[in-house]
Amino acid sequence: MHKDNTIIICRCEEVTYSTLQETAKLHQCSARELKLRTRAGMGFCGGRTCRPILDRVIEDFIPNTTADAIPLKYQPPVRAVTFGTVGGSND
Amino acid sequence: MSEILIIGAGPAGLSGAIACAQHGLKVTIIDEFIKPGGRLLGQLHQEPSGEWWNGMKEAEKLINETKTLPIDIRCGVSVYNIERHDADWYVYTNEGVFESPYVLIATGAAEYAIPVPGWTLPGVMSIGASQVMTNVHRVQVGKKGIIIGANVLAFAILNELQMAGINIERVVLPAESPISKKESNPEEVLKILTEAGHLAPSALLRNGSKLMKIDSLRRMALKYFPKGGMKINGTPLQLKKAAIEIVGNEKVEGVKLATIDSQGNIISGTEKLYEADFVCIAGGLYPLAELAAVAGCPFKYIPQLGGHVPIHSKNMETPIPGMFVAGNITGIESGKIAMAQGTVAGLAIAMASQSNAKIDEQLQQALQKVEEVRTKSPIQFIPEIAEGRLAMERVWEKESNRGELERVIF
Ligand SMILES: Cc1cc2nc3c(=O)[nH]c(=O)nc-3n(C[C@H](O)[C@H](O)[C@H](O)COP(=O)(O)OP(=O)(O)OC[C@H]3O[C@@H](n4cnc5c(N)ncnc54)[C@H](O)[C@@H]3O)c2cc1C
Repeated sequence: MHKDNTIIICRCEEVTYSTLQETAKLHQCSARELKLRTRAGMGFCGGRTCRPILDRVIEDFIPNTTADAIPLKYQPPVRAVTFGTVGGSND
Repeated sequence: MSEILIIGAGPAGLSGAIACAQHGLKVTIIDEFIKPGGRLLGQLHQEPSGEWWNGMKEAEKLINETKTLPIDIRCGVSVYNIERHDADWYVYTNEGVFESPYVLIATGAAEYAIPVPGWTLPGVMSIGASQVMTNVHRVQVGKKGIIIGANVLAFAILNELQMAGINIERVVLPAESPISKKESNPEEVLKILTEAGHLAPSALLRNGSKLMKIDSLRRMALKYFPKGGMKINGTPLQLKKAAIEIVGNEKVEGVKLATIDSQGNIISGTEKLYEADFVCIAGGLYPLAELAAVAGCPFKYIPQLGGHVPIHSKNMETPIPGMFVAGNITGIESGKIAMAQGTVAGLAIAMASQSNAKIDEQLQQALQKVEEVRTKSPIQFIPEIAEGRLAMERVWEKESNRGELERVIF
């Protein structure tokens, strides 16, 4: 087993493996709560890079999360957009 | 307003467009990339028959066909949300809102990485990124590369990089970590590679693959696996070397490798730094289904299809009215199969809008074609894909029975 738990999982928000591990242990929380507490998967790319890794990690900390429902809910916007675009004006 | 809106101009989306436009439907395809073709644009490999699969040419053929039909392709348009109100879909993009009674979501697959310490350094990329740079943008990725991760995707792309004259020094495994699982176990990796059939990275694995399916022989092969690796067109595949860390100051300068045993355990004292100016991480592919999720489509977790997939029928319809799916969003397979599935979806949509016997006949043929292409496919990313497809058929049966029941009760 690799000893280096400081490895970054979420690149956008720079969340490390050990931060996820400690947070899950301390709060015994759901996948969603783990995301909200650490901001993992909530950065600019919207979790595009780290989502599958987060799913794996969460399954280790909080068993039986890999149910049929997607562990971390997808929410719009699924791409980075400006406030103008979402608000209906592009100025 | 078009009669059908397709998200994704890859092989599935383009074939779907052609199938329903041939029955008179007006189609709009949107894609966020600068040109249509999807992942076809990067593909180039030789089939067992000796024929070449040139994805760029295949894409061109499809695009030329769309030009003879009522199909409008809009590139550089990114979908960020999708909702249904009354009988119509509202598709939100950076270029405004598109409306249509039917949508076909054909957004393909995405790659996942295996994090290795140092993977955030400039010069580290996914294997797919190196494919796009080389085959689509024609940019030299670097001078000296190392691939971390040994799977079908990695070898398909390694071959393309070699043809383009890009130097890959070696292919190694990621070191065992809480995140890398099977990917860092030489025995598991060899097992998957022997199931890759035609795409197995060397003649030994290809021809000996029947023998290699026997556990004891595989173990022996690993025991005597050459230290320097097995040469694949000049690039050594080193199943017994693992990447411990990618190092560099401002960018990639090298990768620290260690020798591992057949189970992936690091043999201490064997760490050594190998120079490199770029690193490709090959994790694997998963269905890119975010828009189906946002639209409220129910999902099923089927590892043999690549992960979470939207529930769908053989005809590519989902339980959500007016929403169809096709291609890699329904399971990770090759480009040819995505094309065949796209045709099914296009015909199913044509049926839904104007049911007639002739379309139905074509639909039945298209369904048969999917099976045919699948059994003949020289590339299979997931060896158990057929099981995955069957599992989804059973899920759909259950789902539609429940639907019937609900209709009876309410
Ligand atoms: C890196 C990589 C390498 C591959 N290599 C091979 C190979 O060598 N051989 C092989 O047979 N298969 C390969 N595949 C598998 C490939 O997925 C299939 O061959 C095939 O291209 C799938 O077709 P598709 O139409 O489902 O999706 P794609 O070809 O992926 O097309 C999907 C399209 O949807 C667009 N899109 C996605 N989301 C949005 C959005 N929100 N808004 C607007 N547009 C969107 C994308 O830009 C893309 O053009 C590879 C896949 C990947 C990811």
